[in-house]
Amino acid sequence: MQEIIRQLDEKRQKARLGGGQKRIDSQHAKGKLTARERIELLLDEGSFEEWDMFKEHRCTDFGMGAEHVPGDGVVTGYGTVNGRLVFVFSQDFTVFGGSLSETHAEKICKVMDHAMKVGAPVIGLNDSGGARIQEGVDSLGGYADVFQRNVMASGVIPQISMIMGPCAGGAVYSPSMTDFIFMVKDSSYMFVTGPEVVKTVTHETVTAEELGGAVTHTTKSGVADLAFEDDVEALAQLRRFIDFLPLSNREKPPVRPTADPADRMDESLDTLVPANPNQPYDMKELITKVVDEGDFFELQPDYAKNIIIGFGRMEGQTVGFVANQPLVLAGCLDIKSSIKAARFVRFCDAFNIPVVTFVDVPGFMPGTSQEYGGIIKHGAKLLYAYAECTVPKVTLITRKAYGGAYDVMSSKHLRGDVNLAWPSAEIAVMGPKGAVEIIFREEKNNPEKIAEREAMYKEKFANPFVAAHRGFIDDVIMPHATRKRICRSLAMLRDKQLDNPWRKHGNIPL
Amino acid sequence: MFNKILIANRGEIACRVIKTARKMGIATVAVYSEADAGALHVDLADEAVCIGPAASKESYLVMDKIIAACKQTGAEAVHPGYGFLSENAEFSRRLEAEGIKFIGPKHYSVAKMGDKIESKKLAIEAKVNTIPGYNDPIETPEEAVEIAKGIGYPVMIKASAGGGGKGLRVAFNDKEAHEGFSSCRNEAKNAFGDDRVFIEKYVLEPRHIEIQVLGDSHGNYVYLNERDCSIQRRHQKVIEEAPSPFVDPEMRKAMGEQAVALARAVNYESAGTVEFVVSGATKEFYFLEMNTRLQVEHPVTELITGLDLVEQMIRVAYGEKLTITQADVGINGWSMECRINAEDPFRGFLPSTGRLVKFQPPAEVDGQVRVDTGVYEGGEISMYYDSMIAKLITHGANRDQAIERMREALNAFVIRGISSNIPFQAALLQHPRFVSGNFNTGFIAEEYPQGFDATMVPHDDPMLFVTVAAALHRRHEGRDAGISGQMPGHERVVGEDFMVIRGEERTPVTVVSIEGGYQVGVGGERFVVNLDWRFGETLVNGSVNGKAVTMQFERNGLKYNLKHNGTEARLVVMNRHWAELQALMPVKLPPDMSKFLLSPMPGLLREVAVKVGQEVKAGEKLAVIEAMKMENVLKADQDGKVAKIVAEAGASLSVDEVIIEFE
Repeated sequence: MQEIIRQLDEKRQKARLGGGQKRIDSQHAKGKLTARERIELLLDEGSFEEWDMFKEHRCTDFGMGAEHVPGDGVVTGYGTVNGRLVFVFSQDFTVFGGSLSETHAEKICKVMDHAMKVGAPVIGLNDSGGARIQEGVDSLGGYADVFQRNVMASGVIPQISMIMGPCAGGAVYSPSMTDFIFMVKDSSYMFVTGPEVVKTVTHETVTAEELGGAVTHTTKSGVADLAFEDDVEALAQLRRFIDFLPLSNREKPPVRPTADPADRMDESLDTLVPANPNQPYDMKELITKVVDEGDFFELQPDYAKNIIIGFGRMEGQTVGFVANQPLVLAGCLDIKSSIKAARFVRFCDAFNIPVVTFVDVPGFMPGTSQEYGGIIKHGAKLLYAYAECTVPKVTLITRKAYGGAYDVMSSKHLRGDVNLAWPSAEIAVMGPKGAVEIIFREEKNNPEKIAEREAMYKEKFANPFVAAHRGFIDDVIMPHATRKRICRSLAMLRDKQLDNPWRKHGNIPL
Repeated sequence: MFNKILIANRGEIACRVIKTARKMGIATVAVYSEADAGALHVDLADEAVCIGPAASKESYLVMDKIIAACKQTGAEAVHPGYGFLSENAEFSRRLEAEGIKFIGPKHYSVAKMGDKIESKKLAIEAKVNTIPGYNDPIETPEEAVEIAKGIGYPVMIKASAGGGGKGLRVAFNDKEAHEGFSSCRNEAKNAFGDDRVFIEKYVLEPRHIEIQVLGDSHGNYVYLNERDCSIQRRHQKVIEEAPSPFVDPEMRKAMGEQAVALARAVNYESAGTVEFVVSGATKEFYFLEMNTRLQVEHPVTELITGLDLVEQMIRVAYGEKLTITQADVGINGWSMECRINAEDPFRGFLPSTGRLVKFQPPAEVDGQVRVDTGVYEGGEISMYYDSMIAKLITHGANRDQAIERMREALNAFVIRGISSNIPFQAALLQHPRFVSGNFNTGFIAEEYPQGFDATMVPHDDPMLFVTVAAALHRRHEGRDAGISGQMPGHERVVGEDFMVIRGEERTPVTVVSIEGGYQVGVGGERFVVNLDWRFGETLVNGSVNGKAVTMQFERNGLKYNLKHNGTEARLVVMNRHWAELQALMPVKLPPDMSKFLLSPMPGLLREVAVKVGQEVKAGEKLAVIEAMKMENVLKADQDGKVAKIVAEAGASLSVDEVIIEFE
């Protein structure tokens, strides 16, 4: 028995070394941690249960028969983050460059299947050179097996990808189907085709960092949700992020105790909206002053900045925030912001997370680039997402809610549960100037008359009361009481039940 | 007494005057510009009248509008505050003609003291020390030496047309006077085409010390001790105190009596200030000028004398006699004032405007801490007016106690949304030379020649940051471990061993939860840390080993930012194993931003004035940013070639956003 235990210990030691000390040192020299070190940081101390440590590939071609490393380039298992169960796979770049073999894929599939069975998130720490070329189609099959599971798990358990090294070619499509993608600056990149192929095909010269680095994907493409400075920061923030999510679609979002009073008043909000309707203000101030402890976890902060999305807590419970940002493009909706917010709303809906929407929207962005780009269909995504959404929806109009964009932004008509407005709200088809120029077209050469009409229009529509008369707004509230009113609304909605009619699935305008 | 007065000012001083008027049972009228419609003084006053657009020359400086506001509201008197029309003889005269009392000196006193030459003449006649000098053109070096000898060394030889240090020599003896005269004259001729040179006494280690005087319309005068305002940045007062650590009773008496003599010479009726330059080397003092108004720094005098200067001004204006005599004036303890300005000490003290996202001054404690302010949380700091948004005044039994209270008050003063000079003030309060009292008007220029960086401010107890950060981290960890939905029986257990990382410094600590706080072990030492702090709050009140401490705390992901006594400490706390791995992380140097044109303020990019590939010379216009309705032209710091235009015209920019990249 002693001998067997000794052998097990030896095997474990060997497996833990992955591709060997030399490769570990080289990984460290690149500023990257090893697959196991990353798991140690991500999970609570000592909570990791590893599976398939001894699993090896079955390939014999191209001399692979002689090369076996236990674990086959990916570390898998489960553990806890602040005591809550998560499944994890962490690709090991020190073993065959983290390349994905048939068996490597099987290991990933195993944790995904288990996560689905018990209802817990899957977190992928990606650091892989791509397919195990020596295995040919077996490797491709492995990818597809993972893809299929990504799709089956979508909306059932949260799936999070942390890109911590290369992720190229077909490999990108697994993370792309997960709910959130995070990246590490300077050491990770994602692209479908790399710089060499790009050069050959389109003659563009571009570095891997420029083509698919963390900054590119968080500012230009919107593929990634956040970029972090290094592995340690990334994993620490990932732990913080997981604390917001329910473990599966069968659960309510988690509650973290807070001492922040639900009825905390903030007088400074009474002056947030400037007197001049064309002067911007920072909507993030409203979010951070309303949310528990000012703790707001923003996603995609540097992409489509005209809309803000992210998680916070109200009375300890996770809430998804969607808010127009008047500081950028006057907060209007365009293609990028519609897609950004729509996907977020659908995530919240899938995982029982209430959605709080702050509205200050002058409308959709006009222009050929928007129309040619298909704003009609992309804008409809956000409309679809809000309309389909059955979780508690609390909406607050702070200032402008014009035209179709008013309807889109979680309006009463899209089954908004509680729709509130500040006294500064203006709910109308369009701004006074535009409206008067259309309604009183024949008077357009008479500036005096037009000014008079504008004043009349302003008085009639540039306020929340027209909408309130019709019940489209449930109440007009004082800005300083915003937190209290939203907390109470959410508390009232805690056991909301609403179902959409049975169908195989809807047909969102993709 | 007056029934109603109007305050022809804004900001903290308007609020301060309203407070006293209210105490005296006098109704108040505020005036305000369109930019100030939401200002605090408008809210505090019983009535308010809008007097025009934001620009002060179209509102606060327009006499007609203020007089009209008096008539409209029936105000019987006007308090001008400081600045604006406070030292305008014409205003005082016009009010008198309208039968409205001016709460300040009579117009003739204002006019006489407002004229540099006449005031000096009056001072000489009243036997007030003035700086000895020779104002007629000097022809030969020999003549210059004779004059210098007459004045007494050291002397300053100055070009009449001089400025910015050009054409200026200091001479300590005959030889230097001889040479200095010749070179100064040559330089003046070359630089200004004007070779006239004059000589005056050079004041060594100059301190700015001023005497507060008070006179009534019955010929009574008192002086209310001195204020030391030597801590200045580019001639702007930063910290003022009373009494002065430099002045002894004989000197105080001599200065005070001269100040009163000068006030008497112009029949001064009201509160006024006689400014002196004092040599820190010889104790000689010389008259500079008289300010015929209430000074910004009057509260330090109030706190050591127990008088309300605004009340005195109102009573005198109404015609009452002073109720105190010189014998009644004493010095009770020590008082200090810090001017809190909306400016960024880390960017060369550039004015900072915008929304006051957070404004939480320290609690006022009678006789210890006083806050004079005209702004509030959620208010707007506009670019139209002075950048001073508050005055923090403390009082103590002695100077050390006043300093200690000021440090604590600054630690507790939270301002966010705009930048303030609080970090700089806190660093000054900590500076050994300031604490010693041995400084002069060159203090800031000498001690901070390269500007200011809060992370470089030394702290006398760095362990304070380590222990508080460790305790705060433990609280976060403990709370995170309280989340719902944990695996039953396998809940998160928070460990006791942590590493506090501050730059290169790594301190292993243990943190154990104890009754009411934490016990933090560092090496063999144990610290008991108690925190009166709620998650999300900026202000951390607590104690370390029983000693009370107030810090400001912000958490940004992993990073903890703690501010105390002018030092800003950036720390990371993690468990030991994390720390081992963290040590493997590459140190990322901040990118070299000299190759970029960054937006110095949030605003709208109006124009990019250059094209890609264009060569630009230092000083050339690069871009125009519109912020707060003002156009700001950004110019090139150095020669270069434009590599890339990152932000296009029409973009809204945040601070430090890249506009142009250079090759």
